[in-house]
Amino acid sequence: MKGWVNVTAVEASTTGIRSIEAEAVPTRFARGWHCLGLSGQFKDGRPHTVNAFGQKLVVFQSGDGGLNVLDAYCRHMGADLSKGTIKGDELACPFHDWRWGGDGRCKKIPYARRVPLRARTAAWITMEQDGLLFVWNDPEGNPPPPEVAIPRIEGATRDDWTDWVWQEIVVETNCREVMDNVVDMAHFFYVHYSFPTYFKNIFEGHVATQIMNGLSRPDARPPGKGPRMLGNSSVASYHGPSFMIDDLTYHYDDMDLKSVLINAHYPIDGNSFMLHSGIIVQHSDKLPREGAEAMAQKLGDFILKGFDQDVQIWKHKTRIDNPLLCEEDGPVYQLRRWYEQFYVDVADVRPEMVERFEFELDTTRPVEAWKQEVEANLARRAAAGRQA
Amino acid sequence: MTIRADNRLLDGAPMQPLDCHQCGAEVEVRKASWHQTSVQWSAQALRACLERRAARSGDGGGPDHGLFPGCTALRESIVRAALDGALAVPED
Ligand code: FES
Ligand SMILES: [Fe+2]
Repeated sequence: MKGWVNVTAVEASTTGIRSIEAEAVPTRFARGWHCLGLSGQFKDGRPHTVNAFGQKLVVFQSGDGGLNVLDAYCRHMGADLSKGTIKGDELACPFHDWRWGGDGRCKKIPYARRVPLRARTAAWITMEQDGLLFVWNDPEGNPPPPEVAIPRIEGATRDDWTDWVWQEIVVETNCREVMDNVVDMAHFFYVHYSFPTYFKNIFEGHVATQIMNGLSRPDARPPGKGPRMLGNSSVASYHGPSFMIDDLTYHYDDMDLKSVLINAHYPIDGNSFMLHSGIIVQHSDKLPREGAEAMAQKLGDFILKGFDQDVQIWKHKTRIDNPLLCEEDGPVYQLRRWYEQFYVDVADVRPEMVERFEFELDTTRPVEAWKQEVEANLARRAAAGRQA
Repeated sequence: MTIRADNRLLDGAPMQPLDCHQCGAEVEVRKASWHQTSVQWSAQALRACLERRAARSGDGGGPDHGLFPGCTALRESIVRAALDGALAVPED
């Protein structure tokens, strides 16, 4: 049967059957800042392996406290520097003890009189901010322009906010799939059991924004004891190809809960990526320190569940360059046009990739349909409850 | 990767030029229904927009990190164009 389906797809033009088209995944990795996670984890006095951008990298803290990222393979005989040890300001290779500085230069070979010429390996530009480590990737090798700097996250360093609750998972697909979420309103209902009522996207320059308000779903999370969650409002922006800051407020019947959610990733290779989520929650009268910490944990677990819901789809879906959209879908094509700017040389970034585009979705029909579906789910559950 | 066209623009109404009644900025607009709106700005139109200029000068890096949600004058212009028929809006 499978073969038959394939044949039909090829003959789409004569049969009227739409074919799915997909080019190979890009061979280069996006230009931009990528978050490697909480910076604290790299400060334990040991080098760390990070598989990113189709390579193996090593992250290590030098004596000055700074975090450095180098290509993990030693230029001497190819050993893995992330299995080495930190000696003062340098990273010592486990094979023959060559000492590498954070700038990528070999500083010393203890058993040699002199370091040979060209003893230099690839070093990435790093940045530490708000408790997070970022690395700059640019296939052209240029430094990061200031206008693409990752904005500060105010709550991350404030006493009246919790610490980060941070999660990481490896996802076995190309990272374009996670980007598509920016515009995919309907999947929030069907995959994540939320209920969007307002949805707008704005793309401009290197920033892609999703503004979404939603209601909570009584059929997904039966209202328990304690404060009742009514809904949420979210303004989430990708600052570059991989780091999204989401100002997310949960509305309860007796309070508003302010949080900042990070949704970030870095490509491991063309067919896998590391997906990160981080959340901080603001303390309030209703939710003092301990309550807020507990809430951040709870939300963190909830977000991890959300990732898993996406992963179940991604695992089994196919890559598609020609999605067939209805008018109630978001601007998938325009998002991908925006995303393309990170995969071409700076000189080849075309105006259409960066010019401002706004898309406000008409949620009238989706909201109608979803209200009915929620009602039906509740009725079915009530009926089952009576039977039991 | 090839940049592809939105199937909705190929099979339905295309984006259509529209001038903002306040600043004269020329943008491209499409409405798939009364409550759906797409707006394509150019760099030139963005420079012309008064509200945008005001927003930029007051960019305090608040929680939204200087996000400009959209121009209200342009929004009005779009509603007007839709009401007087200059901008086609498909019936339900
Ligand atoms: S391979 Fe690294 S020192 Fe020899
Ligand atoms: Fe999702």
